[in-house]
Amino acid sequence: MSAARLRLTPAIFFGRAALAVYLLIMLLWLTFPVVLVLLASFQGTLEVSFPAPVSFDAYKTIPPSYWEAFWFTIRAALLATGIALLVAIPAAWAMVRGKLAGRRIMSNLVLIPDVVPQLILGIALLTVFIPLRLSNSFAGVMLALVALSLSTGLRFTEALLEGLPDEYEQAAQSLGANKFTTFRLVVLPLIAPGVAIAALFIFMQNLITFELLFFISGPSATPIAIRLFSDIIDRGIVPYAVAMAGILVYVAIAFYTLVAVSLGPKYMAGSVMSRKG
Amino acid sequence: MNMSNNAAQPVHIDRVRKTFGEFVAVRELSLDIEAGEFVTFLGPSGCGKSTTLKMLSGLLPQDSGEIRFGNKRIDMLPANKRNIGLVFQNYALFPHMSVAENIAFGLRMRGWSRADKDKRVEQLLQLVRLEGLGNRKPEQLSGGQQQRVAVARALAFNPDLVLLDEPLSNLDAKLREQVRLDLRDIQRRANQTTIFVTHDQVEALVMSDRIVLMNKGGVEQVGTPYELYATPATEFGARFVGANNLIAGTLDKSSGAIQARIGPETVQPVSTHSNNVEKDGMDIWYCVRPEHVAMRPQSSAGHFGGRVMDKIYQGTTVLIDLDVKGLGTVRAERPALEVGDLGVGTDVGVHIERSHAVARLG
Ligand SMILES: Nc1ncnc2c1ncn2[C@@H]1O[C@H](COP(=O)(O)OP(=O)(O)OP(=O)(O)O)[C@@H](O)[C@H]1O
Ligand SMILES: [Mg+2]
Repeated sequence: MSAARLRLTPAIFFGRAALAVYLLIMLLWLTFPVVLVLLASFQGTLEVSFPAPVSFDAYKTIPPSYWEAFWFTIRAALLATGIALLVAIPAAWAMVRGKLAGRRIMSNLVLIPDVVPQLILGIALLTVFIPLRLSNSFAGVMLALVALSLSTGLRFTEALLEGLPDEYEQAAQSLGANKFTTFRLVVLPLIAPGVAIAALFIFMQNLITFELLFFISGPSATPIAIRLFSDIIDRGIVPYAVAMAGILVYVAIAFYTLVAVSLGPKYMAGSVMSRKG
Repeated sequence: MNMSNNAAQPVHIDRVRKTFGEFVAVRELSLDIEAGEFVTFLGPSGCGKSTTLKMLSGLLPQDSGEIRFGNKRIDMLPANKRNIGLVFQNYALFPHMSVAENIAFGLRMRGWSRADKDKRVEQLLQLVRLEGLGNRKPEQLSGGQQQRVAVARALAFNPDLVLLDEPLSNLDAKLREQVRLDLRDIQRRANQTTIFVTHDQVEALVMSDRIVLMNKGGVEQVGTPYELYATPATEFGARFVGANNLIAGTLDKSSGAIQARIGPETVQPVSTHSNNVEKDGMDIWYCVRPEHVAMRPQSSAGHFGGRVMDKIYQGTTVLIDLDVKGLGTVRAERPALEVGDLGVGTDVGVHIERSHAVARLG
């Protein structure tokens, strides 16, 4: 191995260089939109120029209605994520370990919100929400997000539990733990890192969900994505809209960092399912 | 310090049965185990050993039959109410808990006080010789150490029965030899009624008070290691436990004594074990252990004529394949010193020191 490593032939060198360039292009492609939005937010225009003065003017001009929409979204997204996981984890456990008849069908059914276009889901929810007076309300938006989060949450936790050998649970039971204690003391701690990552993904998804909320939102319940959309349609790309987009990026980075720091880096890279890293 | 499990009671397994659809995984299994006894379920892969353990532990419901501790029937209880310690093949130590927390888990479930728990954990760490490692996480232990933690965890709460499902199969050969003696020692000191599962016959012979030899969901034979080795009850037992020469013959009781007739002229005295080897003229396997095949100079009388066909040196012993007149190909195993100068092609006299007969079916 080491001998082979020392001999850097031209072929290997160019192979590596090509790989590096390839990865670089891929990374640029992935990060380009984010970087552009961030640069633009400091210049107040999408026509980013180099070098350009950095200014916070765009941020300062964000109107109160934006902040309202922002906090509205954060609250709804957090609550929906929490509720969805609270429901999804025990449900997934029952589905994976319960060996219920028809469990395959069930675990496919819950994917529907994920695979049906959100627009259609939104219309369907609207027809239910209007008679219940849930449209154009915080509860309505939150519940719509729960529907979406539940699907993602179940998919995540189901995979996490599938990856957890059932011997841990059997061991706990043989030692005298009942189902509930087993879940609390063994299952939950073992899947916790995976759940944290699931929460991160679900929260992000909720933060930026647009189509689903398009019909359900209204003047008294406006998520930030809808606010940005309608403003940009009406007035073009205004500087404070770009600044708000920047803020959403910061929120994403902050949550990612929070989860990464609390779990340690080994969990974040690679498989979401890995328990031991 | 008293480690022994004074509350130990006998275990009765009564006609326990398990099927998966049409497939019979365990046919009516019955067994009485004395308090403090070490019983091994031995058998090839797929014979139903793990299925039996799972039924005992409550992780799998049996189709029929009863399991009792003393007079108490336990087979309707859920796994967490059976008071049975389980050791898994992969140990299944809780990775998020320390060694001490793992060992204390069963005590915690039984509501032991902090002080009692700590004391008991110390006792067990001492028993499995892992003093001072209580604060480690399982991943910071070697395979053999993890195995001992798993044993300590299963013993901690004074279970009525401990079940071990191939707990040594993940260890390398050297460590396995060491750990099986350790395990045996721990079991004796704790006077812990134990069922151990393995498909390794040497492991079974070395460790057990009694062995239950299983095949295709049924019990072939129950006996001490010596009984299983010296007097197999069935062809399966004769082939599975230890090496054996199996030579086709018939039972000959014409002279009153029990003899084996092989070919037209060879008649040899033979021992039998099971009562299904008694009918005169029935088909039998004439079984000879390689170590019971002795070689003499060719001149000596009362021996079969034989020729050395092959020699395989193994260190302390040598395997010798012989072509024996009247018996066919027979393998002998002799001490290396004894047969050092015996060359391939040499003619020898062959003496069968001991033999045993089992029924030959089909
Ligand atoms: N859930 C199940 N459904 C159907 N068949 C099963 C099931 N569990 C076990 N079996 C079958 O029952 C038989 C006995 O299985 P078991 O696990 O008890 O074998 P084993 O003796 O422990 O073998 P090994 O030494 O390989 O562990 C096997 O043929 C197996 O295929
Ligand atoms: Mg098995």
